[in-house]
Amino acid sequence: MINISEQAVEIVNPIINESLRTNDFYDDDEDVCVNVQNVSVMFNLSKNREEGIKEYFINMVKGKVGYKEFWALRNVSLKVHRGDALALIGRNGSGKSTLLKTIAGIIKPTRGSVEVNGTIAPLIEMSGGFDRALSARENIFLAGAMHGHTRKYMKKRFDEIIDFAELEKFVDVPIKNYSSGMIARLGFAVATCVNADIIIADEVLSVGDAQFRLKCENRIQQMLKGGTTILYVSHSPAQVKKVCRTAVWLEKGVVVDMGNVNDISDRYMQTIKQEQ
Amino acid sequence: MFRKSIDEFMYYLPFLREVIRKDFKKKYHKSVLGVAWSMLSPLMLVITVIFSTIFRRSIPYYPSYWLGGNLIFAFVMDGAQSAMNSVINNSSLIRKMKIPNYFFCISSVTQNFITMLLSLIPYFAVSFIIGVQPSPYMLMIFFPIILAYIFTIGLGLFLCAYGTFLRDFNYLFTIARRAWLYITPIFYPIDIIPENYRFMFELNPLYVYITIFRDFAMNNTMPSERLLIVATFYSILTLILGMMTFKEKEDRFFLYI
Repeated sequence: MINISEQAVEIVNPIINESLRTNDFYDDDEDVCVNVQNVSVMFNLSKNREEGIKEYFINMVKGKVGYKEFWALRNVSLKVHRGDALALIGRNGSGKSTLLKTIAGIIKPTRGSVEVNGTIAPLIEMSGGFDRALSARENIFLAGAMHGHTRKYMKKRFDEIIDFAELEKFVDVPIKNYSSGMIARLGFAVATCVNADIIIADEVLSVGDAQFRLKCENRIQQMLKGGTTILYVSHSPAQVKKVCRTAVWLEKGVVVDMGNVNDISDRYMQTIKQEQ
Repeated sequence: MFRKSIDEFMYYLPFLREVIRKDFKKKYHKSVLGVAWSMLSPLMLVITVIFSTIFRRSIPYYPSYWLGGNLIFAFVMDGAQSAMNSVINNSSLIRKMKIPNYFFCISSVTQNFITMLLSLIPYFAVSFIIGVQPSPYMLMIFFPIILAYIFTIGLGLFLCAYGTFLRDFNYLFTIARRAWLYITPIFYPIDIIPENYRFMFELNPLYVYITIFRDFAMNNTMPSERLLIVATFYSILTLILGMMTFKEKEDRFFLYI
């Protein structure tokens, strides 16, 4: 079974990835803070996930314990330099989030390697791992602790975070009562305040209102100047162009192209229009 | 590599504290007595009264005997079971943040550990009331307690490595727990088993921890050296076994949570 999929990767790979095995966009190898090499990620799509011993044995007898494989990423290689803002573009299900999660270390690649120099603040699915039963105050300390910060340190940054998220009135309300915009604001404020070297933003800015979006974009620009690296996913080409310098275009788990953000996102939009 | 693991552990230490604090808060949220509940739970009067009358002759200070055994037993079982479910219960966090998975096992065992430490207060209160004499040996109870803690983490990691894939482990564990309760002399005296079969008890880690605990906490004696060595051996072996199993399985967790 594994043999087949390996072949599949081999077949796909030479066609598309030939010229892109490494990121030609950069000429030097200095200051690389994310180095993704030939990463493939396989998911198990099988409908009967063995959740019980009975099912497990029934499936074993039927010879169905094997998985229906689904390769979310196939031989993806890219390098991100310190202080760069990289956009990931592509349609739903093209592997953007999987790639971000692999870089964040949440998913271990089935094959290939990911090297990261520096700390990462992942903002995936809006909230960076909040507990919905807790208030904003408690969540800030919890999230800070996930980045190795003590309570003492987070107390110093506390006012700054609440101020940025504009949640002064709701500090002690459990966040399950928050609107999605409020949660996104809190998530963004926390992620940008924990002094991470790399920030992963997966469609965070799509929920906030225009005013907050502007504020976030300013904050991102500020952080880029300070040397923070940003990996960014958004479905709005205008926003991507505003924030990022470079872009990677993913399609069905394979890198189609990478390079200057304007070129790539224009070509991506063209392709979509042609398809319709 | 070893060095790296220790660095990682130290880095996430504040997180461990926060998670334990969070879980405690959630557990006693909207309860009037709050943490006091963890002190009340060992005072299971009905069982104490009934068995006290049955075993009064063969065991002196029966309530201390039973409550002490139950304290350790309940801690190990509750701790292991909550560790088994810890990865599934925290899946929303694990899917979004990079946190070593084993931290969730440690935190849930530690939470049970703190509950048990609090239960020691009413335990000793009852002991003194029924006439157990205070002695310096009582300070030694931390030895079996910490060994039981290490054992529980090991057992919890082991169960979690499999329980995350197969949810049936919960039901299996509940059955095993009942059986384990009966093969461990918690509410009955050891004498009811014939002398020449008694060595078999020592194969049961819980018996070893409970016996050491009772020797220190109510018998005012030093347990045999042999027993102490066996207890240490069980703890370390289980921890290593649990860690190895967990390490091997954890890379595939994200497919199942």
